[in-house]
Amino acid sequence: MPSIPLHPPSRPTPSGVENPLPPLLHTPTGLALLEIQGTIHFPPPTASATSTRVGKLVFPLYNPALHGEGDAKWMKRVYLYVGENQRMVGECKKLGKAFAVIRRREGGGDGSLEGDVTMAEGEGTQRAKEGEELEIVEVVRHKLVFSGRPEPVGGGTEER
Amino acid sequence: MATQQFDGGVPFAVASSAQKLQLLELPADVAALLDAPNPPRLSIKSSAAANDRPAYAVLCTPTQTFHLRQVQTSNSLFVTQPRHLDAHGNDMPLPATCAIASCPATLELHPSDASAVALLHEVLPVYDVVAGDVDARGNGTSKDHIFENLPLSDVQCQHGWNELMAFELDEHTYRPSVNALAQVWKSINAAALAEGVQLDSQFLTEDIATAVADDGHPASFTKAVLRHLSNDEQDASGPWSCLDRARTVAFVGKTLLEAKQGSSDFLIADFTDTWEDRLPEGWRKDAKLTAIEGSYEFPTDTTIRAKSKDAAVANVQDAAAATKPSARKWHEKFAKTRKK
Repeated sequence: MPSIPLHPPSRPTPSGVENPLPPLLHTPTGLALLEIQGTIHFPPPTASATSTRVGKLVFPLYNPALHGEGDAKWMKRVYLYVGENQRMVGECKKLGKAFAVIRRREGGGDGSLEGDVTMAEGEGTQRAKEGEELEIVEVVRHKLVFSGRPEPVGGGTEER
Repeated sequence: MATQQFDGGVPFAVASSAQKLQLLELPADVAALLDAPNPPRLSIKSSAAANDRPAYAVLCTPTQTFHLRQVQTSNSLFVTQPRHLDAHGNDMPLPATCAIASCPATLELHPSDASAVALLHEVLPVYDVVAGDVDARGNGTSKDHIFENLPLSDVQCQHGWNELMAFELDEHTYRPSVNALAQVWKSINAAALAEGVQLDSQFLTEDIATAVADDGHPASFTKAVLRHLSNDEQDASGPWSCLDRARTVAFVGKTLLEAKQGSSDFLIADFTDTWEDRLPEGWRKDAKLTAIEGSYEFPTDTTIRAKSKDAAVANVQDAAAATKPSARKWHEKFAKTRKK
């Protein structure tokens, strides 16, 4: 079986959307990790919608104006509100080992680019022909973890 | 807490169509590699499934190899991305965090301890020379193809390749037998003498290879041997060679001893005489048993043979035996110096 190239992250293309998360969680492509112990159930999206809003993330201790940008105490407490009246308590964790987010590379459009790469001896002809190519989209070093069970909260607190 | 207002909240949404993303846990050194200004391309290779082993995938950096292991998680692990939520009516679109992929499993990397020497030993056919005739069955496979199917990084493959003094010939690849090595060395030594070449100073590899070719040894084979014996300062890809004297003396002695394996006992005096004869004139005094310390034994008071463990390692049949620390001390020694 041929070897499958795994390309390093290329220059990120900003998505054009302002990243609403605290800067610590920012990555060049905006990708972040969020882990929940459990599953989120939500109604099937309407045909036209590209996404379903299921809740919101709140960083209650995050206040750069008061504590400065470098403050890390906010990481200890993050809320994930799901639906009208459930809340999960979690935290922002620095990963012991960074995670690479990998995807299959689209199309063969980058083929011409490959020729410019100087290859080590013996590597020149071993590229898989028209084979699958993978790329690392992003390297992520933090994640939001919600490991507790959801707790009920008053419905009135939801802004809608 | 009740006073906490939620206007600082970030809307959280789940995308309708999930992307296919995989998460790969990066050991610190691999992460550092990717952080470097010009990160190298990594590759995922797999070993062909053999009858007793299933195929497995490895991730290779230019110099290292890791086993890929899939780890399932019962938690929901989302990859999120900032996105504008679909605006309803005349609301302003809100920047939100949107889960674009869910990863039920992640990949872990574990350093692989597979030995390129052992794996190459297994896949490459032997190139033997018996009574002046070549005995070799080609495999019709190029070196590149062999490397591509070896679950190791390019540097490790190349290192194993050099270690075995493997070579390409007419679209086939071979590893030489001890016998063939003994023969080609004899020709190299004779050629050096005839051409007036000092083997431990710089000389044109091509000159020797051409002269040795007259004895029927392919140039690629000769070059593989010269590359293996060259000192580490020598650029292996250049046209010049310069042999490492101590390494060469040990190589000649051991090759001689191993080539005799299986035949009648070798008298110590005969061995050292032949050894000296096989070396360039100025090196004769180097042919002392201390040069090959640890790789010989004395079955009787007057005879010598290659240490039996040595022979076992030389004929690696199963990969398990190969992963044991090699009894061939000089392999280890050179492996260490090369890694620097």
